[in-house]
Amino acid sequence: MVNCYNPTSLKEALDIIAKEVVTPYAGGTDLMIEPDENATYLFINKIPEMKNIVEDKEFIRIGAACTFTNIIENELSPAILKRAVSQIAAPAIRNLGTVGGNICNGSPKADSALIFFATDSKLRLVSNRGERVIPITEFYLGRKKTIIEKDELLVEILMNRNVLNNYYYKKVGERNALAISRVSFAGILNIEAGKIANCITAFGAISDVIIRRKNIDAMFVGKTIEEAKAVKEEYLAEYNKAIVTIKGRISEKYRKTVCMNLLNDFLESNGI
Amino acid sequence: MEKISESVKKKDHESKVRGSALYVDDHVMDGMLYGKLLHSTKAKARITNISLPKLLDGYFVVDKKDVTGVNRVHIVEDDTPVYAEDTVEYVGEPILMVVGPDIKEVKKILNDIIVTYEEETPILDMRKSDAVFFNYNYAKGDIDKAFEEADRVFTETFQTGYQEQAYLETQGMIAYPHDGRMTVRGSMQCPYYVYGAVSKALGCEEKDVQIIQDVTGGGFGGKEAFPSILACQTAVAAKKANKPVKVIFDRREDMEFTSKRHPSVSTYKVAIKNGKITGMDIEVIFNSGAYTTLSPVVLQRGLICANGVYRIDNLRVMGRAVKTNTVPCGAYRGFGAPQTFFAVEMIMDHISKEIGVDSLELKEEYIVKQGDSTSTSGKYHFHVPLPEMIEQIDKLSDYRSKRKQYLIQSGRYRKGIGLSLFFHGCGFTGSGERDFIKAVAKIRKNSDDTVEILVSNADIGQGLKTTFSKIVADTLGISYEQVLINNPDTDLVPDSGPTVASRSLMTVGELLRRASEKLKKEWKSGEVQIMEEHFVEPDFVIPFSLDKFKGDAYPTYSWGVNAIEVEVDTLTATTKILGAWGSFDVGVPIDMNIIQGQMQGGFLQGIGYASMEQIDYNDKGMIRNNSFSDYIIPTAVDVPNLVTKIINNPYTHGPYGAKGAGELPLVGAAPAYVEAMENALGANLNKIPFTTEDTMSVLQEVHK
Amino acid sequence: MMKFILNDQEVTSNSKANERLLDVLRNEFSITGVKCGCKEGECGACSIILDGRLVNSCMVAMGSIEGSTVITIEGYRETKRFAALDKAYASVSAVQCGFCIPGMILASECILDKNPNPTEAEIREGISGNLCRCTGYNAIVKAISIAAKEGKGLW
Repeated sequence: MVNCYNPTSLKEALDIIAKEVVTPYAGGTDLMIEPDENATYLFINKIPEMKNIVEDKEFIRIGAACTFTNIIENELSPAILKRAVSQIAAPAIRNLGTVGGNICNGSPKADSALIFFATDSKLRLVSNRGERVIPITEFYLGRKKTIIEKDELLVEILMNRNVLNNYYYKKVGERNALAISRVSFAGILNIEAGKIANCITAFGAISDVIIRRKNIDAMFVGKTIEEAKAVKEEYLAEYNKAIVTIKGRISEKYRKTVCMNLLNDFLESNGI
Repeated sequence: MEKISESVKKKDHESKVRGSALYVDDHVMDGMLYGKLLHSTKAKARITNISLPKLLDGYFVVDKKDVTGVNRVHIVEDDTPVYAEDTVEYVGEPILMVVGPDIKEVKKILNDIIVTYEEETPILDMRKSDAVFFNYNYAKGDIDKAFEEADRVFTETFQTGYQEQAYLETQGMIAYPHDGRMTVRGSMQCPYYVYGAVSKALGCEEKDVQIIQDVTGGGFGGKEAFPSILACQTAVAAKKANKPVKVIFDRREDMEFTSKRHPSVSTYKVAIKNGKITGMDIEVIFNSGAYTTLSPVVLQRGLICANGVYRIDNLRVMGRAVKTNTVPCGAYRGFGAPQTFFAVEMIMDHISKEIGVDSLELKEEYIVKQGDSTSTSGKYHFHVPLPEMIEQIDKLSDYRSKRKQYLIQSGRYRKGIGLSLFFHGCGFTGSGERDFIKAVAKIRKNSDDTVEILVSNADIGQGLKTTFSKIVADTLGISYEQVLINNPDTDLVPDSGPTVASRSLMTVGELLRRASEKLKKEWKSGEVQIMEEHFVEPDFVIPFSLDKFKGDAYPTYSWGVNAIEVEVDTLTATTKILGAWGSFDVGVPIDMNIIQGQMQGGFLQGIGYASMEQIDYNDKGMIRNNSFSDYIIPTAVDVPNLVTKIINNPYTHGPYGAKGAGELPLVGAAPAYVEAMENALGANLNKIPFTTEDTMSVLQEVHK
Repeated sequence: MMKFILNDQEVTSNSKANERLLDVLRNEFSITGVKCGCKEGECGACSIILDGRLVNSCMVAMGSIEGSTVITIEGYRETKRFAALDKAYASVSAVQCGFCIPGMILASECILDKNPNPTEAEIREGISGNLCRCTGYNAIVKAISIAAKEGKGLW
């Protein structure tokens, strides 16, 4: 078929992308809204190395070409991820859309990307030159701008198994299905031996990129719940400064208020 | 349940469920060309130059110069151009059409056309417009005296926004010339409206025009007048091409550039003396958009409904439809009534709070009864079943006790319940049915004793093919299968009037019933027989004078009571609908499933109108949210099962007791929803759509 | 040139890789039961079943379905399962303007195929990507529930 490639292995795909300008196409649900007449699509929806969900000692590894439905149906998928992707759009979109596409599209509204931020996940980028594993927090330069190289493919997302419990997730859209997020929030809090071992929060859909502030979250790490309560006001004040919503059709004030409300609720649900 | 109400398998079920029903875009003709319109990108400007790219063979442009008749689309008045002349009056105004054999190439050419505009300052805010298209005033009693003697006067202003019909099938037409005639087929509600408009635009005799309604994927009023415009444009193109031309709107094009519900601003001044409402002085403004289209009639209906279901003896209503440089607004289910019913229901609710009585208790005091005078000094000739409908809704929803309970709440989730009372005037407003439409309906018995229904009313999903067939079959005492009905073709059917105003079943259905009765008496098996019936205004009707704005605006009314219960999440300001209950009086249902389907569909559109459906202009006059992802209509998970009940109140002058049904269920949803939101938020609200952002603003105010 | 299986028949298409399956079905194969409501994956009118899953055919590029199985209403309507849905939809007059219906029927099939006894909430979730402006969804939800009950053993 003219104008496209249908590789059957990762190696084949990488060889193609190494020598030609192609557009990787996984699910197509973003690309097909305005298909590019002149693009050469590299169809990666059937590459086996990109469609696995496996676990090892450290990580749960999600293949980038897994559709949202694949993730929902797989018992290895972390609950927080299932929760988020099951609220994306509607069944027909979930049957095609992939986490890889969701991440690489570069939109701060990407619902699965938010979860990967909130779980400090890493991305495995592969090319014929080698591979690199980078934290998702370093992947975005700005709206729709990522650090992926022209000859690279996102192959896997590595989710740290130790931070997947006790999560809080809320997607706020304009309706209950087929809804683009107006505000999305995910939070994780883990306690070990009476002290907060992890506190991770991430805010999506309100800025050019997903907002994750490790330094602010770190204010709670190592503290007991009581100690955390003592610095709660400061913590919220820091986020109040850090959450800057960008101009859009929905008011900035609304989105900011919802973010702060959800953040506070997340803390209160953990006793803080 | 009456026998006629027992549901049957719809005439069009098979072809639609099998996917074999052919909508206009499914038709392909030999040599067919594709057309796409070039829409103005300016809200108000003079066109100083149009520069075309080089056109491949077989591709050409159609514009005002190609209009062989009058470059005006006849709707009520004749101000809408077929193709723009020297000026454009709104973003989206069609300037020209590109036509050719390949749609991709047509779009490419469209993109390469450069229009040079000399921009002028558009008027976008209806409150700032001095250009009044229409105004009507009426009064009864002595409102000035009521104000003089009042001990309190309440004044409040209410706003309602646009609503987009969002039919699943976009607008589309195919026009093809043949044998000296022009045939136009497509998605439409009113074949004879299109017929008149096309013949004027082509400058030909009506007999040389044929209009056929294709299976239509929803209309809701959006295909009442707009198709006349598209049909004229397509017919002009087909005439120039001397070949079939098909034009199908893209969704974004349809959302941005076709007619919508009129936004409104209404100010109510209510006189109170000794705790009683003694008078209302109401001012209404409707935003007509750039051309008149259907605004006069929408405004009329809105004004007639301005005091709602209430007996207000001292009344003054003044209304105007003004021009703005925005898309011309037209018909949408309810047709002016949803706007003013929202306002009157809300003001009654607000007054009740001020006076210190329960909202429903106050409303119940003023509900009209049979024999009372209407707003325009006509008469409510028939029983008004609101009291029993209120009891029914209260039982179903527990409205009264929940309303009290929700006055005091705390915690993250706040519930609320609201109730609305409303009517819909059945049929065409005023004397239009008698003086303009003059409906004619025919039935023809074939020699094989099948009976064919010949009317111009269009089944657009509301089940007319089925209900008309039931009326004819039952009256004649023959089987439903023996009755035939095709999509209207002006070559074959008389003008029984448009598919609007909730008139088809009540008015045309009655003509068919009479024709069937006649045929039954004179039935001669094996022979071809044709029966014709002409509309006759029922003799109890007090004739309506538009000049005086007085008389029976409608022969009768359909009545409704809605209750809606909500739950607001104060953290996110999102609202969940916990329950929606509607009691509806539409006379005897000609088919219970069909009527229930109409009630449920209309109810949900009304809920959308109240809450999530927002569409608006930016300061350049452009609609920004012009797609299904940004114009939010309810999905199956946005509402619970809607509870709809039909009460038994037969209309003596409708076929089998039926009266108008199509529009009623949309009319009252918005005030019920907003009243529920008020109950949940503990604040007075006065606008729709009342969105999540609006909810957040109120939550923050109340919090202060 | 690419091959795929359309309604149980192997077919060859001359389309380009980035053409929409919706357009190819309607234009090249005259499969007009697949409707175009928005071309953005937001309405479900173009729903088909691709390799056993409900998808919006407007979102599918031809190049991605080499060798895949496509079922449209034209293929599905010959099945016993369709007959059960047909009967159920007819019994509650769930078909109004009909434009959403081919997509709804296929969505109904996909719900029942995975879950032969769905709750109302599961039914609503299953059709959440199919917009209907006419019915308010009540009758469609009821129809699917009736088909589940009456169509014992089919799913």
